[in-house]
Amino acid sequence: MAAKDLVTSGNTVIGPSILINGKLTGDEDLTVRGRVEGELSLTKTLIVEPSGVVKANVTVKNAVVSGVVVGNIQATESVELTQEGRMVGDIRAPRVIIVDGASFRGRVDMGELPPGRSLPERTTPRTQLRPTVRSLPAPPPRPAAATTAARPGGASSAAPAKKSGGGMPGIVRGESARPAPPPPPAPPVVAAGAKKKVVLKKKK
Amino acid sequence: MANTVIGSSIVIDGEISGDEDLVIQGTVKGKISLRESLFVEGSGVVEADIETQNVEIAGRVTGNIQASDKVELKADCRVVGDVKAPRILIADGASFKGNVDMDVKER
Repeated sequence: MAAKDLVTSGNTVIGPSILINGKLTGDEDLTVRGRVEGELSLTKTLIVEPSGVVKANVTVKNAVVSGVVVGNIQATESVELTQEGRMVGDIRAPRVIIVDGASFRGRVDMGELPPGRSLPERTTPRTQLRPTVRSLPAPPPRPAAATTAARPGGASSAAPAKKSGGGMPGIVRGESARPAPPPPPAPPVVAAGAKKKVVLKKKK
Repeated sequence: MANTVIGSSIVIDGEISGDEDLVIQGTVKGKISLRESLFVEGSGVVEADIETQNVEIAGRVTGNIQASDKVELKADCRVVGDVKAPRILIADGASFKGNVDMDVKER
């Protein structure tokens, strides 16, 4: 049983030559050095190491991607793409960290709430659901035809360049299709609360 | 290192294959095929057909086991299924139901 003694109990590791095809669920941290395909859901942290490949829809609390992920990640806390991380898919998490060197293609949805803020505090709903995380060149800010009236002064630099719908903020909110948060009490104001922290240091 | 561990709270439904040792403390359903050793620990539950070189079972396994070298059923294990391997060890205290086949060509 010497082989087993090397292993710290409790933490799951998928070694580099292992392929798992199917559904994986669990309540503990998971480190992937091999391949996981299918579906992956954890109540703790997923770590994809540089040798790891995950082709799956992922539901976790935290995800740290240093390897390759193809698929969507939904995290209740945070998703971090490290320098070696490569990902194609959509990210939905309140905190999304993409560091310099990471490669990512897909959508980011950080939801409505800044992390750590409680629901009742949200009096100025965010309308810019997808901050400019992508490395793609953002289109120029929309000419303020329909939204000028609602936009507070000085917010034009934070214009919702990623907004994919029309000028109606309410429509944009609906697109995010978030299940959890109830509708905001006040009518949405364009770009009023673009406070979410996005760490993006993408070098070309 | 380079050891793969399926922790006790993990449930895998599907197929696992690989070229390294695998330790199962959690639950695996489906199929396991390895070229090295499989360890099913006391907390491990496997409902799968197993194809490996070596297997050591201290937990529960339901399914057929085929090993190219050795199958070891330790005390307190519970195994249901057919076992086929050139060497099969069943320890005192092990619980096992199934066929045993050691009929492997002389090596």
